[in-house]
Amino acid sequence: MDCNTCDTAPAIVLNKPEVVSVTLTITTKAKEMLDSAFEGDMSHALLVGVLSGGCSGYMYDLQIVESTDQDCQELSVDGFRVLVPNASSHLLDGIEIDYVDRLMGGGFKINNPNAASSCGCGESFS
Amino acid sequence: MDVASHSLESESMGIIKLDSYVLIIRGLDRFKFIDGLSTNKVEGDSCTVFTTTSAKVIDMVDVIDMGEFLALVGHNPFKNNVLEHMHKKILGQDIQIGDASQNNSVYLSTLDIDVADSVTIRKTWRGWILVAPNSATIKETMDLEDFDEYRVMNMIPHQGCEITPNNHPLACGLGHLVHEAKGCYIGQEVLARMRSRGRQGKQLVRLENPVENATTIGKTHSLSIVRTTN
Repeated sequence: MDCNTCDTAPAIVLNKPEVVSVTLTITTKAKEMLDSAFEGDMSHALLVGVLSGGCSGYMYDLQIVESTDQDCQELSVDGFRVLVPNASSHLLDGIEIDYVDRLMGGGFKINNPNAASSCGCGESFS
Repeated sequence: MDVASHSLESESMGIIKLDSYVLIIRGLDRFKFIDGLSTNKVEGDSCTVFTTTSAKVIDMVDVIDMGEFLALVGHNPFKNNVLEHMHKKILGQDIQIGDASQNNSVYLSTLDIDVADSVTIRKTWRGWILVAPNSATIKETMDLEDFDEYRVMNMIPHQGCEITPNNHPLACGLGHLVHEAKGCYIGQEVLARMRSRGRQGKQLVRLENPVENATTIGKTHSLSIVRTTN
């Protein structure tokens, strides 16, 4: 397999998913926990993304960031700046960000109407 | 009844052309992407299996690290399913996919051989995989019957025979490609549960002829996927 055959290999055109204008909600408990995590510094934003992988194919990615290189849509939800990458917007429209307070398996949870199924730990969905 | 082992010893030796595709995966996220979608650790040259959420095989691929890109070598009839599987999972990652199948042929050799510089050769658990540009001349020295005999003697499953969309990797003799300690990947929950409970349902075996429901028929023995008794 010489370099020429690789360089001339025709690219496979990927049909990028449609960018959806996302709406999302945050539960009261999640708001309390986000308030605590932001420590009043509202210059930061909550990045809500999706990564490929996990037992079911997709994994949620929640981060508090100042900014991101990703092409995102910026929302204002209950006073929080929320960034949603356009690449995964079709998977995140309509989600509810919740916080579950329990010793095992607790933390932020995403209730996603787009998910057909999710894995046991709840971090992965398809 | 023998269960899977891969010592690569057989009286049937030679080179056979495989019906394979060659996909070129470029981009900074190429290792992480393939690793996250398949059963084995992908950090360099490796062999791994793409599986569905119910752990059924989509395809087994040889991953060849070519430095700036990866070459994925899989079974041609399964190519579209692999591409569909990967397409949906490319979100924001730096991944580009090319198809070099038309420009290259893939061979399997049971022996280490000298090849031209333009031919890529890698040792795998099945033998040596050769990816040759169409300009290179590789002579086939083994026919399908010899290849089947080689596979039966070494208990090597093959796509379309044992490795099919109806089976999970543990059932078709690919358990060594299911990493026990890597993180989540599609189908991992199902495979981990089978392993931890010791219930994989079916397994690849070699039986003395005649064999009912053989997946590959050899001269004296054949391969079959049978239900386990545990």
